[in-house]
Order: sequence, then C-alpha cells, then structure tokens
Amino acid sequence: MSNNAVSLYLDPQIRDWVLFPITLVMILVGILRHYVVMLLQTQPKELSRAAVREQRALARSQILRATAGNSPIPRPFYISISQHLSDAFAAGTYLKDGPPKGDNPSPPPNPITDPAAMDGMMSGMKTQMVMMVPQMIIMGWINFFFQGFVLIKLPFPLTLGFKSMLQRGIETPDMDVRWVSSLSWYFLNFFGLNGLYRLILGDDNSADSSRDMTTSPFAGGAAAATNPVQDYNKLFKAEKDNLEFSEGLHNWVGSDVESRVLRKYGKLAPAY
Amino acid sequence: MSLQSALQKLASYRKNNTRASQEIFKEGLIVLKSGGVSKLGDEGWAFLEQLTLSAIDIGRLDIADQCLKQLSEKFPGSPRVDVLTGVRMEATESPSTVLSFYDELLRVNPSNAAIWKRRISVLRRVGKIDKAVEELNEYLDTFYTDVEGWLELADIHSSCNQYHSALQALSHALLLTPQNPFTFLQFAETAYTSGDVPLALKMFLVVIDMNESEDEDTIPLGISVRAWWGTKLCSRQLVSSPSTYTSDSNTPVPKNIKLIDELATERVLTAYSGEQGIQARGLVSKWMSAGR
Repeated sequence: MSNNAVSLYLDPQIRDWVLFPITLVMILVGILRHYVVMLLQTQPKELSRAAVREQRALARSQILRATAGNSPIPRPFYISISQHLSDAFAAGTYLKDGPPKGDNPSPPPNPITDPAAMDGMMSGMKTQMVMMVPQMIIMGWINFFFQGFVLIKLPFPLTLGFKSMLQRGIETPDMDVRWVSSLSWYFLNFFGLNGLYRLILGDDNSADSSRDMTTSPFAGGAAAATNPVQDYNKLFKAEKDNLEFSEGLHNWVGSDVESRVLRKYGKLAPAY
Repeated sequence: MSLQSALQKLASYRKNNTRASQEIFKEGLIVLKSGGVSKLGDEGWAFLEQLTLSAIDIGRLDIADQCLKQLSEKFPGSPRVDVLTGVRMEATESPSTVLSFYDELLRVNPSNAAIWKRRISVLRRVGKIDKAVEELNEYLDTFYTDVEGWLELADIHSSCNQYHSALQALSHALLLTPQNPFTFLQFAETAYTSGDVPLALKMFLVVIDMNESEDEDTIPLGISVRAWWGTKLCSRQLVSSPSTYTSDSNTPVPKNIKLIDELATERVLTAYSGEQGIQARGLVSKWMSAGR
C-alpha cells in the first residue's frame, strides 16, 4: 500500500517546532529530575551498634557455611565456632533488642508507626512523585498542542503490528506504518532516552523514568520498608538448621594434605 | 621529578595501600608546593589524607597540620577527617586525652568502626591489654568481616602466651581469607608454638600445597622456604617419638611421616643450593643429621 512514492509531505516547520522541542524538553526534564532527586535524597540513617550486629550476624554464619565443604580450619575449631553461633541464634543473643521474652513471638512492628520505616517509605514516595509529575505535564502538553501530528517517517519498513505503537492518537486504518505520531514519539523517547542519560549523567542516574512505571509509588515504599522490619528471630532460627547441615558436610582441607603433597613431589604413586 | 610522575606514583600507592611514608612524603611535598591539590579535583582530598598520614608517620607534624587544616575546612564533621585528627593527636597528646576524644566521637556515633579501631589500638599501646581485648572482641562481634581485627586479636593473644585463643582468632581470619597462605603459615607457627605439632605439620603442608608454582624441580622461595623448614621441624619431632606428641585438636599424625620427613629434608637442602645458599648448606646438612 505504500508503493506510491511519497504519500505525505511533512512541513519542515513541524520538524523544527514540534519534533525537536519534544525531544529536547524530554531530555532536559530528565536531567532536571536527576538533580532534583539528588537534592531530595536524605542521608541514610546511622545504625546503632546493636542493629549493625544483628544485620551482620547472618553473614557470619554464611561465611562459615560457605567454606564447610573445603574448610580451612580443623574440625574442632569449626565445631566450636558453629556451636557457638547456633547457641547464640537459639538464645537470640544477636537480636537488636536482646533475647525475646516469653514464648509468644512478638508481632512485627507496624511500618506506619515505626519512624525509621516511615522515613524509607516517604523518601520512596517523594522520588516517585518527582518522576510522575513532569511526565504527566509533558504528556498533557503534547496532547493539547500537538494532537494528531505526524512528526517523522522511519527510514525502514515495518509490519502492521507496529501501527498501534507508532501511530497512537491517529485513527487512520491505511496510513503507512512508518509514519510516527506525536504521542508515539513521546513514548519512544520515554522508553528510549535512558541510553542518552547514561551517557550524559553516568551510569547511576535517576533521570530514566520508564523503569518507575513498573512499580507503583506505594509498592516502592513498601518494598523499602519491609527490609528493616525483617523478623531476624525467625531468620536466625532457620540459619541454625543450616548450620547443623553444614556441620555434617565439614571437611578440613588439611585432612589428607600430606598425601597430596607427597604425590606432587613424586614420593607417592599417583592416586588415579 | 615532574609533577605528573609524582602524581602517578602517589595514586598507585593509594590504590595498593602501601605504607611507604618517606617516598609519599617526598613526592607529596612536590605536589603540595606546586599547588597541585586544586588541580586534582576530587582526588586532591584523598591525596591530602594520604600526605597527612605519611607526614605524621615520619614526624613532620607541621605539614600534617597544614593538610589537616585544609581537610577540616572542606569537610567539617566528616568521620574520615575525625580519624585523621585522632591520629594526629596520638602523635603529641597524652593517651588519656586521645582516649577521651575517641570516647566523645563514639558516643555521638557508636557504630563508627574506624574510630573504634583507633581506640583499641591506643588501649593496647598504653598497656591496658585486658581492656583492649575486651573491646576488640566486642568490635569483632559487631564487624565480623574485619580480617585485620582478627589478626590483631591473634597477635595480642600470642603476646600474652595464650596460644589457644590466638589459634581461635586465627581460625576466624582463615575463614575470612581462605586464599591467603600467610594466614595459614601464621596459624601453623602459632600451633607449633602452642605445642600442637601434628596440627602445625598439617598446616605447614597446606601452605606448601597452596603454592602451585613450585614443584620437584624448582628451588623453594619466599614463603615456601619457611613452610618447608616448619614441616621439617615438625616431622623431625614426630619421627623420633610419634606417640609422645598429643594434639589438643586431636589431629592424627600422618601415616607416612617418614616419607614427609625425607621430602622436607630434601626440599630444605634444595632451598640452600643457590649461589648464596651454598655456604649455609653445610651447616644445614649438619643440623639435619645431628637431630636424629
């Protein structure tokens, strides 16, 4: 259907006054947002000694378990460390608030009432707002002034499936798919500018908005909030079982080192 | 020396954490005099920190104060500058003043690991070993992954002849860096000193086993020479009276201890086969044959 040479002729003014401005505005807004987010970010709160200890206790037993199969330390040393850790986990020595009292497990604290968790949630919401508001404004601006504009012709042919992607806002059944409408150009920029931001602002930028579309502002806040509310007591109890498993796996790297060394120096016949 | 090459050298010292204070100071002074700090941008501050430390190290406190002043003007209240200020105070102030300075910082932020470590080192220096060990234990219970801390604890225990505790501290260090043969060597030597000869023998052999570049035809170098000597010392005792040596850690004496002894003798003698080693070789072989 696009066999006739050029079916449409675009005014060069559209290029100068619509296509370039949309792209430029989106890039500038992205850069601006990067700096606003940087301003909004609050310093992470300092953890107390007990909290650091609680957080790192798990890493401690993971280090021990990771080496169990080929452990650098002899069995008695391994067992003593492992026993010490599992006793401490059972007694809750590493918990921030000391060992739990009584048998009934305390309910996890409500994130709304916990100021530390609330902080995390608020900062998540703030950045999300900075992401959403400018995008809504730009979209409104494009919809208001440039609705139904055809901005550009892609230099390669595409199948009909791309029609809804490239010609949003123009309801014509038989225009060539290569023509891109203003609203679609906006979406193409929206998802495609990340590479450019990375070039301008470095890898760790917060200008890209497309990835925020996958998470709602509240989900983002909640995900950040679940972290401090983790029930370490339960994690420790589970880790205790893991420690017992690893104890069975323990094998000292030095248990048959003499035959390995003797073989290496040709004093003993090779094992194979 | 040109500014460019001085800067390059300093950057590589920083990257490798080398404590070559004399050289750093010499080249740092060139950079400082030529006003290179402002040209360096963000890296300039790291350079100033480096120069301060090395200036304190070699006793040029005037330069250290000069750098420290610039840093504290730029970063007021930064924990890193606080540490530097503390180190500078340690150079001239009395230990009690420094300790109260550290106490104050730790009261504000109890989880500042660097300040905590400095405090422990001051405690050890003034001879309050019991307090230092107590604090170090608490520190390591919180920041488990600090290998340096575990090695320091092992050192303190060894200096008090508490070899069993030293071995326990070293075993944590081994768990954290199972790839470092020097930690294994230290473990082996501590075990030997504590009288656990079979355990020491095994650990010396692990060090040898880790050294993949060495085989029958090469001359042992560096850490291997020490490890082979250790092996020889252990195996000599075990061959002469295998049953009398009990091991605290229940490490069995290897079955082919005779072969290990022969191999160790051979390897130690090989270590003394070079140009320089040849004079000492006679002494070594005399020692080898005398011990039996």
